[in-house]
Amino acid sequence: MAEISFPLPDLGEGLIEATVLEWLVAPGDQVERNQPMVEVETTKSAVELPSPQAGKVVRIHGEPGGTIAVGEPLIVFEVPDNTAGIVGTVPAEEAPRRRVRLSALPEDD
Amino acid sequence: METHGKHSASRPAHTVEGTDPQLHVGTYEPAVDAGLRPVLLLHGFASSAKLNWSDTGWLSALNSAGRRVITVDLPGHGGSAAPDDLDSYTPSRIRADILQLVTDLGARPLHAGDAASGLDIIGYSLGSRLAWEFGATQGELVHRIVLGGAGGLDPLAAFDLPAAQQYLADGTAIADDSTAALLQMAQLLPSNNLFSMLSLIEAAKLEPFDPAEAVPRMPMLLIAGDKDERAATMGDLAALSPATEQLLLPGRNHTNAVTSRAFKHAAIEFLAQ
Repeated sequence: MAEISFPLPDLGEGLIEATVLEWLVAPGDQVERNQPMVEVETTKSAVELPSPQAGKVVRIHGEPGGTIAVGEPLIVFEVPDNTAGIVGTVPAEEAPRRRVRLSALPEDD
Repeated sequence: METHGKHSASRPAHTVEGTDPQLHVGTYEPAVDAGLRPVLLLHGFASSAKLNWSDTGWLSALNSAGRRVITVDLPGHGGSAAPDDLDSYTPSRIRADILQLVTDLGARPLHAGDAASGLDIIGYSLGSRLAWEFGATQGELVHRIVLGGAGGLDPLAAFDLPAAQQYLADGTAIADDSTAALLQMAQLLPSNNLFSMLSLIEAAKLEPFDPAEAVPRMPMLLIAGDKDERAATMGDLAALSPATEQLLLPGRNHTNAVTSRAFKHAAIEFLAQ
C-alpha cells in the first residue's frame, strides 16, 4: 500500500485560504471518488469539497475552525501500490507547465 | 407548434406578460430516479444557483437521493440577464417567471396518489421569501417547502438605499449594519452586477415581504444556523402556519449554514414524505 496526499485546491476568486467547517470523512473511512469530503468556508462563501480520490483515509489536516492555506496538505489516502504508481509518475510541479501549453491551442480556432 | 425539449440549450424562451425573462435555468437528472416530483431551488440575494446549490453540494446530494432538480438564477444574478427595467426585479414578477419556467419543465398540479405530481421547493434567504409567497399563491402545485435562513422581517425593504448610494458615490460610512452587510455581499463577487442588486432592492421595497398576508398551507420545514442573525425571527414565521417544523444548526451562521450536512439530510428526508 502507498499514501497519496492532496492539498487544499485553488478555490478561485483569488482566495488564498479556507476555514474548515466540518469533516464528512474520518481516518479509517473507505471513500469513493467525488464523495462529499469536507465543508470549508472562505471569506466569500461556504463550499463542500468532493473527494478527489477513492481509497482509505489515513489522515486529515485541520480541525473545525482551523485555517488551511491553498496548497497546504488537506487529506492523505492509502491506495494500492499499483494505483499510487500511476499517479506518482506525474510529478506535481510539472502539471502547471502542461496546462499553459495546452491552453494556447484553443486560441488558434 | 414547436416542442420544447427539456435538455435543449436553445429552448425557445416562453414570454411572460409579453417579455422574455432571460433567466438562466438548470435541470439536473438523478442517475436513479426515485419517481418523485421535481425540486426547485431558489438562491439568496447576491448569490447564484452555482454558489448556493452547486458548490455547496446540494445538487449532488439531491440527485443521489433520486430527486430531479431545477435551478434558476434570479434576475441580475449568476447567468441570468440583468435587465434595466425595475419591473423585472419585483418579487411578483419573479414569481410569475418561476411559475412559467417550472410549468415549461413539466411540473404539473398535485394529484392525489401521484408522487411525481406537484413541486417541492428549497429556498435560502431571499429565495425562502420567494418560496413562501410562491407556496401561498400556488397551493395546487407546491407539495412541500424547505425554508433556509428565513425570518419574518424583510432586510431588503429595510435597506437604506440613499445611504448605500452615498457610500458608493463618496465613501460615506453606512450607519445601518444590515444595509452595510448586504451591500458588502453585493460587492463581494465580481460576477455580481451592482446596478441589478440595487434594482432588486428597490423593487423589493415596492412589494415588502408580509408573511402574514398570505400563508402557505402545505407542510414547511424551517432551518437556520443558531448564529444566523437574519433568521432570528424564524419562529415568527413558523408560528403563522400550523404545518411547520423547525431545525437549528449548531454553530452555523447565515453564510455557512448552506453546506451543512444536517441541513441537507433534514431537507431531503422532509421532502421525501
